[in-house]
Amino acid sequence: MAVDPILDGGTSIDEVALEPLACGRDAAVVWDRAEAGTPPDAHERDCPHCTAVRADAAGLSSLVHRMAAEDIDPPPSVMERVMGAVMSELRPHDVLQLESPHGANRLGRPAAAGVLRGVVDRMDGLRARSCRIEQVPDRFDADVTITVTARFGVDLASVTARVRQMVLAAGEQTLGVPVRRVDISVVDIWGEP
Amino acid sequence: MQGFAEPAPVSVEVPPGPHLDDLTLVVRAQEGDVRAFEALARRHQAALYRLASRVMGDHAEAEDALQEALLDAWRRIDRFRGDSAFSTWMYRVVTNRCLAMLRKRRPLPVEDVEDGTPAPDSPERSAEADASMAALGTALQGLGDDLRICWVLREMEGLGYTEIAEITGASEDAVRGRIHRARTRLAEVMRAWR
Repeated sequence: MAVDPILDGGTSIDEVALEPLACGRDAAVVWDRAEAGTPPDAHERDCPHCTAVRADAAGLSSLVHRMAAEDIDPPPSVMERVMGAVMSELRPHDVLQLESPHGANRLGRPAAAGVLRGVVDRMDGLRARSCRIEQVPDRFDADVTITVTARFGVDLASVTARVRQMVLAAGEQTLGVPVRRVDISVVDIWGEP
Repeated sequence: MQGFAEPAPVSVEVPPGPHLDDLTLVVRAQEGDVRAFEALARRHQAALYRLASRVMGDHAEAEDALQEALLDAWRRIDRFRGDSAFSTWMYRVVTNRCLAMLRKRRPLPVEDVEDGTPAPDSPERSAEADASMAALGTALQGLGDDLRICWVLREMEGLGYTEIAEITGASEDAVRGRIHRARTRLAEVMRAWR
C-alpha cells in the first residue's frame, strides 16, 4: 500500500483527514473489518486496493496479537513507592475532636468514615459509598451523611433503618462520637433483577 | 487515645476488596480513604503499566511514568467527576505523564537508535520470532508519539475510537487517522519479515 510521503515528518500532519482508497472505500474501515475477521465482501474480493489493505492487516495481525498477549506486569516496588508517598502526604489536620476531660483527643476523619463504612459493608446486600461526618460547631456530636448501594431485592425501608441504628451505635461505642443525625441515600442498586 | 497523639488509623474497617465497584472506591478515595485508593491503583496498575511500557519503549521509564501517574491520580482524584469510566480517566493521566516525559527526552543521535535495536540471542527458530517482535517494537518506537499512543490504545488495549478520543483529547476522526497511519507504517516496515 502506498504511504503518503508527507507522513515521514512524524505526527504533525495527523489531523489531515484520511484519503479514501482509489476505489472510494475508507481504508480504516476495510482494515477494521479484516481485523475483526469479517470475510471480504464482493467488492473487496475483486478490488486490488482493498485486497492490499486486507493483506497488510493479515500480515501484521498475528504479530500484533502476540505482542498484545505479552505478560508485562509492573514490579511490586512501584505500588510500594506510590503508597509510601501517599501516606506521607496525608493531611493530619482533617480530624474530629473527641470529648475528653484531660486534654484534646482527636480522631482522623477519613479513619472514622472508614469505620462507619465498614459497619455498612458487613450488612448483607449493602455497600457504603460516601460517608461524611460533620461535627456540630463547638460540640462533640456529629451529623453523618452516608450513601449506600444495595443489592436488587433488598428491603430498602428496613435495611436503611438498620443502617441508621448501626451507625448510631458505632459512632457512640466505637468512635466515641455521639451521632445526632444520620442521612442515608440509596444511590445505586446492583445485581441481576 | 489521650493527649496530643497524632490520629492513628483505626484498624477495624473491612479492607476494600474486589467486591467494590470502581465508583464506590473512587468516592471513598475522594473522601481521603487511602485504602480505597490503593485498591483502585492495584486493580488498574497492570493495564496502565502495559500502556506506559509500549509508549515509552523502556521498562524503567514506564515504571517512573506509572508511579508519577498514580500520584497524579491521588492528588487530583477530586477532579474525577464520573463523566467517563475511571479506567478512561486513568489512561488519560498516564498518557499525559508519558507525553510529558517524552517531551523532556533528549533526541538520540541516529547511530545510537540503530545500535539500540535489540539483538535476539536465542536458537534459530525462536530467534526469528523474537527478532520479528523486536522489529515491531522498534518500528513502534519509530512512530510519532501521537500515532504510537493511539495505536497502542487500540491494538494493545483493545479500546474503541470514542474512548481513545476521550483519552487523547483528539477528535474521533483524528484518532481514526492516526491509528490507520500507524498501522500502515508498521505494515510497511514489517513486510520484510513476512
